[in-house]
Amino acid sequence: MTTAASESPSSHLLTLRVGQFEGPLDLLLHLCRTNEIDLAALPVRSITDQYLVHLESLEFQDLETAGAYLVMAATLIYLKSKLLVPPDENEEQLDEEGEALRHELEERLREYARIKALGSWLAEREAEQALVWGRTGSELPTPDDVPLEDLSVHQLERALKRLISEQARRRPREVQPEPMSLLERMTEILAVLRDTWSLLFSSLTGGERRRPEIVVTLLAVLELVRLGRIRTQQTELFGDIVIERREDSPGDNVPLSADPDFQGGATVADSH
Amino acid sequence: MPTPTDVVEALLFASDTPLEADRIRDVLELTDSDEARTLVDELRVRYEKEDRALAVVEVGGGYRMVTRPQIAPWLMRLAKTRTKARLSRPALETLAIIAYRQPVSRPEVDAVRGVNSEGVLDSLLERRLLRVAGRKEAPGRPFLYETTREFLVAFGLRDLNDLPKVDGELVIPDMGGGPDGEAQAQQDPGPSGADVTTRS
Repeated sequence: MTTAASESPSSHLLTLRVGQFEGPLDLLLHLCRTNEIDLAALPVRSITDQYLVHLESLEFQDLETAGAYLVMAATLIYLKSKLLVPPDENEEQLDEEGEALRHELEERLREYARIKALGSWLAEREAEQALVWGRTGSELPTPDDVPLEDLSVHQLERALKRLISEQARRRPREVQPEPMSLLERMTEILAVLRDTWSLLFSSLTGGERRRPEIVVTLLAVLELVRLGRIRTQQTELFGDIVIERREDSPGDNVPLSADPDFQGGATVADSH
Repeated sequence: MPTPTDVVEALLFASDTPLEADRIRDVLELTDSDEARTLVDELRVRYEKEDRALAVVEVGGGYRMVTRPQIAPWLMRLAKTRTKARLSRPALETLAIIAYRQPVSRPEVDAVRGVNSEGVLDSLLERRLLRVAGRKEAPGRPFLYETTREFLVAFGLRDLNDLPKVDGELVIPDMGGGPDGEAQAQQDPGPSGADVTTRS
């Protein structure tokens, strides 16, 4: 059957090579044409056999295409199986469902045949136009009113995407200062206390220090108190805190370590 | 003094897109578009009579000045690389489906062709032979496609009526499969019915 399909003169309109089909319908149509089959009386049995023979010789580029061919194969096999049921095998008799399926297949084939014919018609027009040159670029100044006829949603979408990407490039980025860590602040306080006996809390948080940093400083002071490295005094309510170095402190050799919970506290303070 | 026909000639020469009769009427301040058409016809006759290398053709709803096909060999030699890229068979078939059934969605095109048409549609959109006409009110709201004026120009068609008549109605196969889809198709004869009447 394969040889019959490739050797017999196919329809003069179309010459097809095995493996160059556009899809299952294309292959099926090719089989019908080479066998001079009337689409109105699709012989399911023989066409199914031929289709399957061709299917085996085809190589598929992707799964989706292969799937499309297989769906058609399944439809054909199903139709053929229906034909095996009736007692008289010489007559192709299908039940109602099978008949509807065959009718649908015939319709699709006829439809596809029409589309193919139209496609070749368009190809002829295209070939004619390939011999003709017109002006491509106008040197006329752009009109004030741009004709809206040939605009499409796609162009809008493209324009919007371009704008968004341009904006993303231009937009000044907001630089977030690294939040000061608790450990850094503790080290800083101890470094100041190395040169002086005592200092005021306000001197640590003065200037341009922001609220999260004040919180971190307070936490650092509390942590140092807990570690026994400093002593604090507050003589009046809301008064300044005096920070003093402890003479009997365990010494500078002991490494500082902040409670992880306190570290977390610094970030919580950030959100206020 | 240039005659109105001379002016029309200049207008056609300077335009890079088909020039509508209405535009010619406006530019020349004519009373109606038929007068513009008459002028174009005069120009066309003049070209033919003098056996000129240029011709006036009607495509895409307007007039266009083009070279005659007989000149093509020399133009090919001049352009060297300018061999016009031809569309593939799948592309032509896809265009045919859309030209006849527009606006139409990709699943519908796929159903007629029996294979996936995504890549083909993309390249046709890129070449501006198609454009998105909107979205179909169906599951997934797929894009609807239609042909453009560039399509008409590329194939030398005046308008969509220049497409050959098809025997029988172009039916989009029922995609749901089974009797349910068939019933649905019968329930909704509106848009397809309207299309057919305008086409014929």
